[in-house]
Amino acid sequence: MNSNPTNSTPANGRRYWRSMDELADTPEFKDWLHREFPSNASELEDGQSRRQFIKLMSASFALAGVATLGAGCRRPEETLQPFGQQQENYTFGEAQYFATAMPTRVGAIPLVVKSYEGRPVKIEGNSLFPGSNGGTDRYAQAAILDLYDIDRAKKFKRDGKEVSRGEALEFLVGLSQKFSANGGEGIAFLVESSTSPSRARLQKIIALKFPKAQWITADAIDSGIHQRAATQAFGQSVRPVFNFDKAKVILSLDCDFLGGEDDSHNHIRKFTAGRKSVAGMNRLYAVESLFTLTGGSADHRLRLPASQVIKVASAILASVMGGATPMAAWVAECAKDLVANRGNVLVVAGQRQPMEVHLLAHAINTALDSIGNTVTLIPTAEAPASGLKDLEASTADTLVILGGNPVYQFNWTSKAKTVVRLGYYEDETFAKANWNFPATHFLESWGDAVATDGSVVPVQPLTQPLFGGLTDLEFLALIAGESKTSAHEIVRATHELFYQLEDRASYPEANWKKFLFNGFASGQVKPVNGVRIDQKILGELSVPQSMSPATLSKDNLEVVFFRDAKTDDGRYANNGWMQELPEPITKMTWDNAVLVSRATAKALELANGDVVEISLGGKKVSGPIWVQPGMADYSLGLALGYGRERAGRVGNGVGFNAYKIFSGKYIETGAKISKTGETHVLACTQHHWSMEGRPAVREFNRTEAVEAEEKHENIAEEKFHGVEPPIVASLYPNPLDEAKKTALHQWGMAIDLSACVGCGTCAVACQSENNIPIVGKDQVARGREMSWLRIDRYFTTDPKRKNNPSRFNPNSDMNQTDEQQQSQSWIDDVQVVNQPMMCSHCETAPCENVCPVAATVHDQEGLNTMAYNRCIGTRYCSNNCPYKVRRFNFLDFNKRPLTELKGTLYNNALTHSTGEGDKKEWDLLRWWKDPNSGMRTEDEWDLIKLSKNPDVTVRMRGVMEKCTYCTQRIEHAKISQKAKAGASDNVRLTEAAGNIPKTACQQACPAGAIVFGDISDANSAVSKQKLSPLNYAVLGNLLTKPRTTYLARVRNPNPAMPDYTAEPLSTEEYEGTLLTTHKI
Amino acid sequence: MIFPKWTNSLPLVLGLVAALAGAAVVPAVAVYLTPKYTRAGYQPVQPVPFSHKIHAWQLNVDCRFCHNGVEKSWFANLPGASTCMNCHSQVLKDDPRLQIVRDSAANNTPIPWVQIHKTPDYVYFNHSVHVTRGISCVECHGRIDQMDEVKHDKSLSMSFCLSCHRDPASRIRPTDKVTKLDWAWSTNSVEADMLQESEGKKMVAHMKVESLTSCSACHR
Repeated sequence: MNSNPTNSTPANGRRYWRSMDELADTPEFKDWLHREFPSNASELEDGQSRRQFIKLMSASFALAGVATLGAGCRRPEETLQPFGQQQENYTFGEAQYFATAMPTRVGAIPLVVKSYEGRPVKIEGNSLFPGSNGGTDRYAQAAILDLYDIDRAKKFKRDGKEVSRGEALEFLVGLSQKFSANGGEGIAFLVESSTSPSRARLQKIIALKFPKAQWITADAIDSGIHQRAATQAFGQSVRPVFNFDKAKVILSLDCDFLGGEDDSHNHIRKFTAGRKSVAGMNRLYAVESLFTLTGGSADHRLRLPASQVIKVASAILASVMGGATPMAAWVAECAKDLVANRGNVLVVAGQRQPMEVHLLAHAINTALDSIGNTVTLIPTAEAPASGLKDLEASTADTLVILGGNPVYQFNWTSKAKTVVRLGYYEDETFAKANWNFPATHFLESWGDAVATDGSVVPVQPLTQPLFGGLTDLEFLALIAGESKTSAHEIVRATHELFYQLEDRASYPEANWKKFLFNGFASGQVKPVNGVRIDQKILGELSVPQSMSPATLSKDNLEVVFFRDAKTDDGRYANNGWMQELPEPITKMTWDNAVLVSRATAKALELANGDVVEISLGGKKVSGPIWVQPGMADYSLGLALGYGRERAGRVGNGVGFNAYKIFSGKYIETGAKISKTGETHVLACTQHHWSMEGRPAVREFNRTEAVEAEEKHENIAEEKFHGVEPPIVASLYPNPLDEAKKTALHQWGMAIDLSACVGCGTCAVACQSENNIPIVGKDQVARGREMSWLRIDRYFTTDPKRKNNPSRFNPNSDMNQTDEQQQSQSWIDDVQVVNQPMMCSHCETAPCENVCPVAATVHDQEGLNTMAYNRCIGTRYCSNNCPYKVRRFNFLDFNKRPLTELKGTLYNNALTHSTGEGDKKEWDLLRWWKDPNSGMRTEDEWDLIKLSKNPDVTVRMRGVMEKCTYCTQRIEHAKISQKAKAGASDNVRLTEAAGNIPKTACQQACPAGAIVFGDISDANSAVSKQKLSPLNYAVLGNLLTKPRTTYLARVRNPNPAMPDYTAEPLSTEEYEGTLLTTHKI
Repeated sequence: MIFPKWTNSLPLVLGLVAALAGAAVVPAVAVYLTPKYTRAGYQPVQPVPFSHKIHAWQLNVDCRFCHNGVEKSWFANLPGASTCMNCHSQVLKDDPRLQIVRDSAANNTPIPWVQIHKTPDYVYFNHSVHVTRGISCVECHGRIDQMDEVKHDKSLSMSFCLSCHRDPASRIRPTDKVTKLDWAWSTNSVEADMLQESEGKKMVAHMKVESLTSCSACHR
């Protein structure tokens, strides 16, 4: 019994252990060990040993145990703190809505903002606004995140050091006194474009007080060209408003009016209004170098370098005027179509195109009698005469900067002695300014603006400035030495002036109240009629040959700079929703790239992700290559707005800065490219371009659709190419049939693919409404993006150029990888189709019957609900979902610090410390003190809490989530109606009563492509949509019975065009595939 | 021999002990860690010794006089101190127990009442739809009008909610009797139960009250 086990040598067992020990030391064993696990899997990568890990784990279990036994039994004590003085007309817990507007460069977007307990949570379009359908653009949807941006400028600073607000304001007053003494000698103002009447009024006051002051307006994305061109063409100060809804034939001369142009949401609304009715559908011709959303919606698209668009413009003008210039068939037929539709024609030139192209467009419009019909000219204030050149030439020793980011955007170096700046971020320009004033968000400011239709809109604050700060009006008023320096007083005074012009006698208070309540004052603007283009200008224009560019080649490339669909000119670089939104055409997130065509990539021997150096006019910049189908050859597309150095935690170091080679011209030639040998990983959410042979998107040409409409025959559902009929009828009764008898409503949705242009506004609106976190580039690259709503973008091509339609042929398109597809010549001329895809709420949902814990089940109204607190994260549902619309929280994305979004290794509470310097604290300890703290710093955490929508659960790690049809909105509408009904039975929501809720995506869609409602009500809009001959269910042959159905896209090609095809190109994808064979 | 002989029975002993311990732990957890135990009976000390019994029972003040948001919002608001002062500027106007209330009204600083009833964050309970459609306060809060100091009376667990959601007829009452906590269909309890069943069913049919048991009714 007392034998010492280490010395004794019992025969069995111990030898075994000894040999194991020995084995463990052999190199072979170590080799085996490392082969058993993937590289580095056996090590914690952050330097913590396995032993340490076990220690920490046991410690945390012990802590958790103590917590459960002790404090965990009871919930923490919380207090309810009512008002001291009860507020009138305020009910805690009920949302309030206020009308306001988001100022843009050339107008403003009228908004209604939802606010809970004084904090704005969701931005929506103002549907009362004349002509508006309540839609917005994606920037407006994302703007609310900027309000809660942790990296906002919060302090008044002098030379980088904090000063008190009082001291800073004192300085402005001193500035005012100094320059009023010398008439403004040596002061210059650098501002961005704005339509604010109050700012214009203050500018005039400043000009009176400081006559020598210089006023420079400079924008990185110059949208003023439309106004300048119209003013030049028509000889008076006018701004064109394009009425796409009135046009039958539209020609876009490199004008991305559905995407990159300002006011795109209005253009989308008007353009799609002309595409919803099959009979009266408009036709869009696009000439462009980049593949834009406009090109994607076009019926005929001509791929042409941007610098050569002018040739097409002048050829068409010549043809329209009766001249017979030799020209390509495409241009000739397009011109014929324009002439045939005289009076209902609209030709628009792009913001990046030079003045000549704009004048040519106006000349064509005038020649075809479009002015006054499809183009309305409205009188406007004169365009600012100064620009970027004046900034460079300015010799003022005091420069006042309002907004903008000239250091980043214009590579500007200050020559002024004192730079005073009002800015929203502590960005690149912050570092070069002597005095910095934090600017307020538009949701914190009083202000005003003029919308593009000419009506004045108020900017009304939803909350007090979160971090103090000044509005631009207050800032200017202080410098002007005004007595009224509160923005509210300034705006109100402007408004009174505005009214006194008409009715001097009295200014009724009710006017002001109505102005704020409605969110606009309309009826003042009258369009200019009966103007003709100046013939002299036309005469000068007819010699475009002189400016025709040299032929492009691989040593003489064209560079096209464009406004990014996500960061705009860089101002949304720190907006996580925008960074993670897939770019509408490339589907790229968290990056910009050098967009090139296949032929260009081949000529230069480039592949996706190759980092290249572009040199242009002696300046250089490096960025990764992205082969973009449909790009013009030898043309490079560079998105502005990336490569920020001081954007903030989200935007720093994302992408590359194309401004480095930008000099104010959006189209330049003479660029050269060289490979650096490096590669860069790009996170793209949709690599596959084809539908893998399944007809997810269905398309028709207009003639077919018109025929079907006349016959009242559905052509999209069963008779469609290659649709496989169900193999068997359903064996089980539809479980919803029983519920349908008693339930009050049955929810459903119809999405019109003819109206959808793919802008992505719905995706951002969904992110905002449903508290969807961002995950970071690395996680997106792993396919873990969280967005509930995605827009699938498919490229289809001319069948004559297609390889082989057989599924079993390895060379068939559908069997090719992304890389292989890029080398195929068919990608040169493609058609694009967009399809918003989110949970279809299948009546017989495949996800439901595989859930082991019944966390996803149907409710009686046809919603496929998700009980987050019941989900255990098996992800079976996601596996079984044919639409791939379920999203899984792989990590605690809501609690993850913004700075760690870019890294590859996700830290957990055990291996992570939060804070800096002395305040650094181990997360487990932080968790012990406050289980809700997460891994975010206090200030970040406080703001994130403010920004969330309280109607929607914030999901944690390990939980499946997906589109709910905005169940919170449905429930709110139902509850409101029931509370109103009281003891009566008037509990049903009806479209007649106008109380059917709108989903967030539907509300935000500027095209009105998404229709949601009660399909048990035969008179509802959605029921009517579903009766359309174009209605079809995606993968309906699987008997999933989805509640979301789609209306097939209708194209309206011109049979005379050389690129006409009798059927849309995508239909070819299904011909001859297995599906059709099966059908036979 | 390494192990002494008694170790032969060790597995059996350990097994028995484990089984007994398990038999003790399972019911203990089931009883003591459920909402019935952890929540019901919770009665924290409030900053002001406000008595619902005096106000709601003896003085017969309607619930909605103070909780005036209950028919409009998901939340039954607590009154601001100014509401208290409507009466207490006259009644007990120098009482030291009301000093906090007077300070609150004068300085517009909140009174930190301790929260008692609380559903988890993932439950979206809505007061307005219940009280406007004939579900009385008493169903979830018990006889608040008999409490000097409010205590958590019902468990407010999911099964508690479901018991009524599965059978709304068993709890529904005329909508004007919602705040009469002592109200019953009859003073005779047997008759009251019978009437509840028959009249309740009529009301449910007449008002189109849904028996909502799907997830989306409470979880968003």
